[in-house]
Amino acid sequence: MTVTEQGLLEREKDSMTLNMGPQHPSTHGVFRVVLEMDGELVDSAEPHIGFLHTGIEKTSEAKRYVHVIPMTDRLDYLSPLGNNLAFCLTVEKLLQTDVPERAKFLRVIMCELARIASHLVWLATHALDIGAMTVFLYCWREREMILDLNEEISGVRMMTSYIRLGGVAQDSTPGWLQSVRNFIEYFPAKIDEYERLLTHNPIWLDRTQNIGVMSREEAINWSMSGPVLRASGVNWDLRKQRPYSGYENFEFEVPTGKNGDIYDRYLVRVAELRQSREIVKQALKKLPTGPYKVDDNKISLPNRKTLKSSMEALIHHFKLVSEGVSVPKGETYVPVEGPRGEVGFYIISDGSNVPSRVKLRAPSFMAIPGMCKMMEGCFIADVVGIIGSIDIVMGEVDR
Amino acid sequence: MGLIDQAYDLVETEVNNVKENVKDVLDQADYDFSGAIYDSILTTKVGKVIGWAQKNALWPATFGLACCAIEMMAMANSRWDAARFGAEVFRASPRQADLMIVSGRVSQKMAPVLKIIFDQMPEPKWVISMGACASCGGIFNNYAIVQGVDRVVPVDVYVPGCPPGPEALLYGIIKLQEKIMNEAGTKQAAKRVA
Amino acid sequence: MTSEEIVKKVKIDQGEAIHSSEVNLGDSVLFVGAERIHDIAEYLKNDPDLNFDYLSNITGADYLNEEREPRFEVVYELHSIEKNHSIRIRVGLDEEDPTIPTVSDLWKGAHYPERELFDMFGFNVEGHSNLSRLIMPEDWEGNPLRKDYPLTIEDVTFSHNREFKQDLVKSKPPTR
Repeated sequence: MTVTEQGLLEREKDSMTLNMGPQHPSTHGVFRVVLEMDGELVDSAEPHIGFLHTGIEKTSEAKRYVHVIPMTDRLDYLSPLGNNLAFCLTVEKLLQTDVPERAKFLRVIMCELARIASHLVWLATHALDIGAMTVFLYCWREREMILDLNEEISGVRMMTSYIRLGGVAQDSTPGWLQSVRNFIEYFPAKIDEYERLLTHNPIWLDRTQNIGVMSREEAINWSMSGPVLRASGVNWDLRKQRPYSGYENFEFEVPTGKNGDIYDRYLVRVAELRQSREIVKQALKKLPTGPYKVDDNKISLPNRKTLKSSMEALIHHFKLVSEGVSVPKGETYVPVEGPRGEVGFYIISDGSNVPSRVKLRAPSFMAIPGMCKMMEGCFIADVVGIIGSIDIVMGEVDR
Repeated sequence: MGLIDQAYDLVETEVNNVKENVKDVLDQADYDFSGAIYDSILTTKVGKVIGWAQKNALWPATFGLACCAIEMMAMANSRWDAARFGAEVFRASPRQADLMIVSGRVSQKMAPVLKIIFDQMPEPKWVISMGACASCGGIFNNYAIVQGVDRVVPVDVYVPGCPPGPEALLYGIIKLQEKIMNEAGTKQAAKRVA
Repeated sequence: MTSEEIVKKVKIDQGEAIHSSEVNLGDSVLFVGAERIHDIAEYLKNDPDLNFDYLSNITGADYLNEEREPRFEVVYELHSIEKNHSIRIRVGLDEEDPTIPTVSDLWKGAHYPERELFDMFGFNVEGHSNLSRLIMPEDWEGNPLRKDYPLTIEDVTFSHNREFKQDLVKSKPPTR
C-alpha cells in the first residue's frame, strides 16, 4: 500500500486468474471463460469453446438432404425453425424452385412463434442470472403455450423439423389457427407484465445501464448481428433488407437502441416480442388457401391419394424416399434473420443427393470475441449480465 | 377366637377387596397403556428410513449441456413441477448435490470435465442419463461425440427421447426413487457409500 | 448496386489482380489468388461506392472428391450495411502448402473464423495473432473437416444401409 499526495491509500495491482468453467449455472451452456482479474475488475477475458462440438458439418456430408434437416434443428436449439428455414431456403435457391404462397405464410408464422419462444428463454435466463427469479417462472408459462402449438401442428414440442424442402411438412388445421389466434390475444398483457417487473426497476437499471457498451463502428467491425447490432444503433434487419419467404407483405417496425449497453439490448428484444406478435397476427389474417408444398414431385412427396392411381407418383415417391433429392452442382449462401442474428448456410453441392459441404454461419460464434472485448474493465458481476445479454447458444457456436 | 381374630379377618377381607379393586384398575391401565404403545411406535430397518429420506430429497446438480437442458428447465418450472417430488433446488456446486442429470450430448472435450464433476459429488450419488445423445450417442454417430455417457460415469436410469418431454424426465426421477427404495437397507445401498 | 454493377466496377478497377468474376444465382462472386486477397479486401472495404464494412462469414472447402486443382478453397462473404449489397470472394489454396494472409486487421470479426480454418482444415493463416485449436481439444491430431479424415462411425447392431456406411466405418474410436 502506498500513499498518494492527497493522502489516499493506493492499492497495488492484485492479479488473480479465475476460471468460469464449462459447468456453470450462468454461462448458458458449456462455455468457459478464463478471467484475469485485478481485485474485482476484469482485466481480460479469454474464451474457450468447443465443449459441445458435435461434428454436424462433417456428418452432413454423409447424409441426404432431408436427413440433414433434423440435424439443423439441434444447432440453435432454442429456435429450431430458424435453422430449418435457412437450410431449406439455401437448397431451394440451388434447386431454383419457388414455394407456394401458403407455405411461405405458414413458414413465417412458425418462425415468428419460434422467435417469441427463443426471446422468452433469453428473458427468463438473463433475468434469473441477474437475480429476478419470478420472471423465469412467468416466461416459461407462455413458452409452454407455444410448445403446445408446435406439438399440435407437427407432433413434437421442440425439434419440429416442420419446414421441409419445397414447403412445409403438413398443412395446418382450422383448430390450430384458432389456437394461435387465442395465443396472440392473450400475449400482449403478459409482455406488459414482464415490463412492469423490469423496465423501470431501479435494481435492473443499476445493473444494466452503461455496462457492456459497444459503439456502432465497433459492432460492425466485430461482426455482431441481430439485436446486439440493432441496440448499438445500426438499422440492419435481414427481414427488411433482404426479404425472404414473403416478409415483404407484412408491416412491422425494427426497434433500434442508442447506447449499445445491456439495457438497450433488453429493450430491443422486448420490442421485438411485440413486433413478432404483430407479424403473426397479420399473417393469420392474410393466410391464402392453396397447396402447402411445391407441386414438383422430384422435390416433395406426392399426395398420398394419388399413389393408388398414378404410376409416376409411385415412382417419384420411391425415388424420393430411397435416394433423395438431387441438387444441381453449385454453391450459394442465403442469410436469414434468426433471433440471435444472421443465420446462414453456405452449401456446396456436387450434383448428387448428398451435400459436399454444409457450413453454418452462426451469430453466436461471431459474437464471442466481441463479447470478451466488452468484458474488459467491468466487475465480475457484470460478466454474467453481458453473457446473458448477447444470448449465446453453444449448440451453434460449436456445431 | 376373640377380638384380635375378628380384627384379623376383617383386615384380611379388606385387603383382599383392595387387591381385587386395584387388580381391575391395574388391568384396565395395563390395557390402555399397551394399546397406546402399539398405536404410536413403528419398527422398521434403519436402512429403509434412510432410503425413504434420500429418495424424497434428491437435489440435482445443474449439468445441462444442450437441448435436453431446456426440457430439464421446463420440468423445474410451474407446469411440471419437480419440486413436488423433492427435486426443488438445483445446486450449482456438485459438492452439495446428490443427483447428476446428464442432459445433452457429451463431446470428447467435455468428457474429462464430466468425470471431474462426478468425482466431486459426495456419496451416495446417482446419475440419470437424459436423452438419446447421453444414453447412446443419439443421432450423432461420429468422431466428436462420446457414444453414451455410461462410458464415463455409471448410470442408474436412462431416459430416452430427443429431447424427452418433461413428463418423461419426471417419470425417470420417479423410477429412480423406486430404485432407491428397493435398494434401501440392502447391501447394494451400502456399496454406494464407500 | 446490383450484382452485375459490382462485378463490372471491380473488373474495371482491379482487373489484373483478380482471376475472374461471375454472377452466380444472383450473387456476385470474385475468384482471387491467395497473394492478392489482402489488397482486394482493403480495396473493397475502403472504396466509397462499394463500402463493404461487414464481414459475414469465412468458410473453408475441400474439393478432393471433384479432383480439381487447387484442392482447397477459402470463401469470404462480405456485406455492406450502408449500401445493402453483398459479394463473395473465393480463394483457391494448394494442397502442399495452404497458406493465406489474414484479414483480421481490416475486420476484427475475422479472428474466430480464421482460427477455425486452422483447426478444422489445417490452413496456415499468416499474421494471425493467436493461431491455435479452437473447437477440437488442444492435443487432437488431424483436421476433421478434410475429406480424407474419416467420419469414424461406430458400428451399431441394427442398420438399414450398412453397405452405404461401410466406408465411413473405420476402427472404433478410442474412449477416454
